[in-house]
Amino acid sequence: MSRLLAAEGSGFHSPGPGDFEYPPIFGEGTFFTKPMLIIVLGSLAAGLFFYLAARRAATVPGKTQFAGESVYGFVRNGIALDAIGREGLRFVPYLATLFIFLVPLNIAGIIPGLQFPATSRIAIPLFLAVISCVIFNAVGIRRQGFVGYFRNMMFPPGVPKAVYGLLAPIEFVSTVVIRPLTLMLRLTFNMFAGHLVLLLFILGGEFLLLEKGGIVGIAAGSVSLLGSIVLTFFEGFVQLLQAYVFVLLSALYIGGALSEEH
Amino acid sequence: MTADQPDDSGRRAEGDSRRQTEGDAWSAFSLVIGGVLFWGVVGWLLSEWLGSDLFVMAGLLLGMGGGLYLVWLRYGRS
Repeated sequence: MSRLLAAEGSGFHSPGPGDFEYPPIFGEGTFFTKPMLIIVLGSLAAGLFFYLAARRAATVPGKTQFAGESVYGFVRNGIALDAIGREGLRFVPYLATLFIFLVPLNIAGIIPGLQFPATSRIAIPLFLAVISCVIFNAVGIRRQGFVGYFRNMMFPPGVPKAVYGLLAPIEFVSTVVIRPLTLMLRLTFNMFAGHLVLLLFILGGEFLLLEKGGIVGIAAGSVSLLGSIVLTFFEGFVQLLQAYVFVLLSALYIGGALSEEH
Repeated sequence: MTADQPDDSGRRAEGDSRRQTEGDAWSAFSLVIGGVLFWGVVGWLLSEWLGSDLFVMAGLLLGMGGGLYLVWLRYGRS
């Protein structure tokens, strides 16, 4: 695409996967790049937020404490209790940590100055998906025993014995491989595609407005830039939603492992 | 955080309908993809070994059928 446009002599570089590769801020290679800076800043922001919220814990909460309790309560009541049930309370610390780690990393995509969702680099969702996968499988094994867990998972009742040879590997692969894989891909590529769309609208608008010029260029560039504002808000919504979906599905998988009795 | 919160007991039932549906949808999706992936790979290995492309197609169809059958088995009978 970019080569095609360049060949036409327009000089516009359409954004692509290359825009997700950042030079090191200091050090060499990929030692410390912009996504890593965002991880550090995001973790600090989340930590600071909860430190301030919990610093002077009072029966009648102040504003910050109320905000902190709202976030935690949202994960506790809206995700853990809803998706797992009473037993879900044990997993609230993990789920809440996951949520407050993902939100700043996602939302960094629309914060002026940062404007890059760190979770669009696949390593971060990959790592988190592996943790979730290990947890829900470990929970299932502890609850139902090693043999029991895999028997319940791979051998649903009510099937002729001969068909199990066909079905058991599918169940195994779908639970142990596909679940964390989709968890990872859903988050990564929602962030990836969202960032790409914003890049295209903003850089394209800038190019049309400032370099192409003319009536068409100015009109199309203005529309593109105005559209990018709308899309920025939409991306903010998607980023929050995807953090929520990641945590919700982790919780649902844990809940399924706790109560698997097919 | 303590046991004396009566509103929590009802949440499970209420949550079942809304959230569990979403989880079921993704689990069903995983089953179909898992079926196609596993038996597709098995079929591909067989074709590499035996030198006939038919095994890939057979594996993909078998996996798709198996995955859909599992979805029906788990979520389609209630």
